[in-house]
Amino acid sequence: MSAERDALEAPRRRRRVRGFNRRTGFGGYAYLILVLLVAAYPLWYAFTIATGDSQTITQRSLWIWPGENFFANVQRVLDNSAVDFWNALLNSVIVSTTVAFFVVVFSTLAGFAFARLNFRGRRGLLIFVIATMAVPTQLAVVPLYIVMANLQLAGTIWAVIIPALTSAFGVFWMTQYLEQTLPPELIEAARIDGASMIRVFWHVGLPAARPAAAMLALFTFIQTWTNFFWPFIVLDKDSRTLPVALQALANNFFDDYSLIMTGVVLSIVPLLLLFVLAGKQLVAGIMSGAVKG
Amino acid sequence: MKLSRRTTTAALAGSAAVALTLAGCAGGGAAPETSSPSDEPVTLTVATFNNFGYTDELLAQYTDEHPNVTIEHTIAATSNDARSNYFTKLGAGSGLADVEAVEIDWFAELMQYSDKLYDLTDPALADRWVAWKTAAATDADGRLVAYGTDIGPEGVCYRQDLFEAAGLPTDPDEVSALLTGSWDDYFAVGADYVAATGKAWFDSAAATYQGMVNQVEAAYEDPATGDVIATENPEVKEMYEAVLDASASQSAHLSQWGPDWAAGQADGSYATMLCPGWMLGVISGNAPDVTTWRVADAFPGGGGNWGGSYLTVPAQGAHLEEAKALAAWLTSPEVQLQAFLEAGTFPSQQALFSDDALLTATNPFFGDQEVGGIFANRADAVTVAPFKGPKYFPINDAMIQALGRVDIDKTDDAASSWDKFVADVNSLG
Amino acid sequence: MSNRTAATHRPVRRLGFGQQLSRWDVKLSPYLYVSPFFVIFAVTGLFPLLYTAYVSVHEWSLIGGEGDFVGLENFAFTLTNPIFWTALRNTLSIFLLSTVPQLVLAITIAAVLDTNLRAKTFWRMGVLVPYVLTPVAVSLLFSFMYADKLGIVNNLLQAIGLPPVAWHSDAFASHIAIASMVNFRWTGYNALILLAAMQAVPRDYHEAAMIDGANAVRRFFSITIPSLRPTIIFVVITSTIGGLQIFDEPTLYDQYGRGGNDKQWLTITMLIQNTGWRENGNFGRAAAIAWLLFLLILLIGLINLAITRSISGSGVPRSRRTGKAVSR
Repeated sequence: MSAERDALEAPRRRRRVRGFNRRTGFGGYAYLILVLLVAAYPLWYAFTIATGDSQTITQRSLWIWPGENFFANVQRVLDNSAVDFWNALLNSVIVSTTVAFFVVVFSTLAGFAFARLNFRGRRGLLIFVIATMAVPTQLAVVPLYIVMANLQLAGTIWAVIIPALTSAFGVFWMTQYLEQTLPPELIEAARIDGASMIRVFWHVGLPAARPAAAMLALFTFIQTWTNFFWPFIVLDKDSRTLPVALQALANNFFDDYSLIMTGVVLSIVPLLLLFVLAGKQLVAGIMSGAVKG
Repeated sequence: MKLSRRTTTAALAGSAAVALTLAGCAGGGAAPETSSPSDEPVTLTVATFNNFGYTDELLAQYTDEHPNVTIEHTIAATSNDARSNYFTKLGAGSGLADVEAVEIDWFAELMQYSDKLYDLTDPALADRWVAWKTAAATDADGRLVAYGTDIGPEGVCYRQDLFEAAGLPTDPDEVSALLTGSWDDYFAVGADYVAATGKAWFDSAAATYQGMVNQVEAAYEDPATGDVIATENPEVKEMYEAVLDASASQSAHLSQWGPDWAAGQADGSYATMLCPGWMLGVISGNAPDVTTWRVADAFPGGGGNWGGSYLTVPAQGAHLEEAKALAAWLTSPEVQLQAFLEAGTFPSQQALFSDDALLTATNPFFGDQEVGGIFANRADAVTVAPFKGPKYFPINDAMIQALGRVDIDKTDDAASSWDKFVADVNSLG
Repeated sequence: MSNRTAATHRPVRRLGFGQQLSRWDVKLSPYLYVSPFFVIFAVTGLFPLLYTAYVSVHEWSLIGGEGDFVGLENFAFTLTNPIFWTALRNTLSIFLLSTVPQLVLAITIAAVLDTNLRAKTFWRMGVLVPYVLTPVAVSLLFSFMYADKLGIVNNLLQAIGLPPVAWHSDAFASHIAIASMVNFRWTGYNALILLAAMQAVPRDYHEAAMIDGANAVRRFFSITIPSLRPTIIFVVITSTIGGLQIFDEPTLYDQYGRGGNDKQWLTITMLIQNTGWRENGNFGRAAAIAWLLFLLILLIGLINLAITRSISGSGVPRSRRTGKAVSR
């Protein structure tokens, strides 16, 4: 195999190889532009409503020119005492970061075990984990609330953090990713060299899992950030996360949509910032996952 | 952001689209003295929804007089959110505020569990509210478990300019005279309007039906036995058929609370709509540039009430007596008047019906009409307190859907839709 | 590590302590690694699951609490209730309309993202933008866009000369609208998952196939897709589970949240919510519906697994020309 590879590498160094590494064609870019336009349109729509007034949303046309009220609306949202924006923002950041971190840690540990370690009950437990994703959340609300109340945690941010630490999705995701990309030979080699399990995990498992872990962190962060139903039930005024707090903008009988959409836009800004700052890192992390055979 | 049925107490737009102005009267004097059951420092939580008019300044009046009390006020966005929250925490046994607001929509449901509510009976407050308000809050053992805040007496809102184009009178007094009568009279005027302009008279069958069913003493359940009679009650069937008959030509087919319905208030899709006091804020918010909406001091079939809320003290709380005192203060005439001036929530306290401050309150959006007085008259005209048992609202929901199928979705005709209604009611168990 | 014995040269007479530790390490560490997950899960996941099962066989009111034991009566009622079957129909319809196009789109987007793009980060993060909007906000925006009279979509249709669609009255139209909300939100997400897996496919396979003369499309179907098989299975299973539980989008599709006047878009999770919360808080029945949904998800999940396995081949890319199996 490697002789073949060397043979291939040589020509690539001399000229751009046609074929696999070719530049994206015009068709590819066109397709992506179309996709991004569709993806971005609702956000743009929300923004233009946020810049207008209460009547803007009734306009029927596809393209609405943005108005001038954006900063005035932003000020109204920030000043709204029922929303308590900065406090809610802080809560959201704390909750999302904590959950993302622990989900990645626990899921990687469990994924590593399920993917590459042989232990009794492995298949059964894994299937059980996957099956738990099928439980509808509506019914979990009441017993979960009882548990939180008994632990004296209801109304604190721990009530949203703790249940979120166990992500069956995360475990499933890391398991299948490691199964695909972590060669058993590497683990064997490390074991033969006398490494303990934990060292194997740290030196072999983690690096292989890094790309998937980075993605899981991003997805979990966003998911936790945008979560509404359970935080709404269990949090109280001081511990509210951002989506729940912004709900208070629909507080009045008559919904001023320019205000509500301003809230929507404001709640996305931190996430977009995350994209910009961490985007390159995360994408690089994700895409470095090509494990050379 | 569910735009769920907003059959709740008034809440005017936060942007104060409607400013209620006093025609010369000092609004809100000193709040009545209540003796605090204990002088220990205590924090009371109050949970309301939409806009009850309880501003921080208002609540400060209480804490100024009772320095040992701190009040924390949380507001849920919608009545439905408040309801989910209430029932979940009631079931779990903890987590409710010391004073919790309840809307009449789901109050009957809550009354089934009146043993989980603190007894608020107080002989001193016996005549504070209109009789039918207190009756609904008194359980089978005679305990009063909730104090009334506001009510929703109904008039008819109409568009002056559209009336003019149809050759109908436009002056509010004349329109009041025109629309006073039975539902048949209302539909007859509607037929004239449609004939003259070809446009819709009212917004939807379901919205009109709401007005009709609130005048029936026992529409869906038998007060004596609690049995469900909705499907057999000839009154219900008659109203159903009458409103669908008229809707064929007079309805704008716009689902209430939907975006098209809201836009319809601005673009003149319908000329009239049934208007409880709190609806004024909705209209002014949805149609801020329209200057021709007015309120007629009339209601087909006599009088009607739609909406209203209560304050309850859940028995799971830690400061029951203090909460009871606070709830009593919040529902006192003086405080409710301030709330009305702040948020438009029409009071349920009888003392205020003869209070000038209420009677002369005007609304600039509606051409400076004295809306306080109008709705006081409308409150007087309410003669029937409909019995609303625990199944009332699911059954009413099913009826709204039945009407919607024919009037809006056009998936059924009146007969097949009625059959589906019967099936729905039977499956409620 | 102490006690390293050269096992190949001398028979081991007795296990040293170090070796014993090592054996425990191997045997116990898996359980240790999965335990954080299961410990928390026992409290926050297992308890609700068992609680729901217990509730479903009783007559249980949300507030009144536990009633009599009624065995399978709640299940029987649900299975004979035509509303349940309508909800099932709606759920499956929305599920198919959302999952299938989404998967196809996600794979194609991932394939394009896999190529040598300029400004990679921009494109890759860009497709994730729909995911950051809260479901509430998305539903709100889309319900305005799909409004029958003043919605943008109907406006567009009429501009091209087509008749307006009754998005909130016609059942199938409502399914399409709701599916479009779901697709909007999740396509980019799934595309990135597939992209990560695509990037993990060793380039050698492609290069070898190119040498053999396979073009891009051929390579895509013979190498990329089979290599992606575990990930495709993963995406299909998570989409199945999520899709059958769909709740936010159909609830917020109109102002009432009851699934339409004629139950046009009532899904099973909405039925659970209605039964347990809206009507008389019939928690027992709601629990029974939830368990039926759970079983349904397991069933459909297994079916999807079987289908996906057979479609995406055996997972081992083969080089036709040389007839050699390319080992992983």
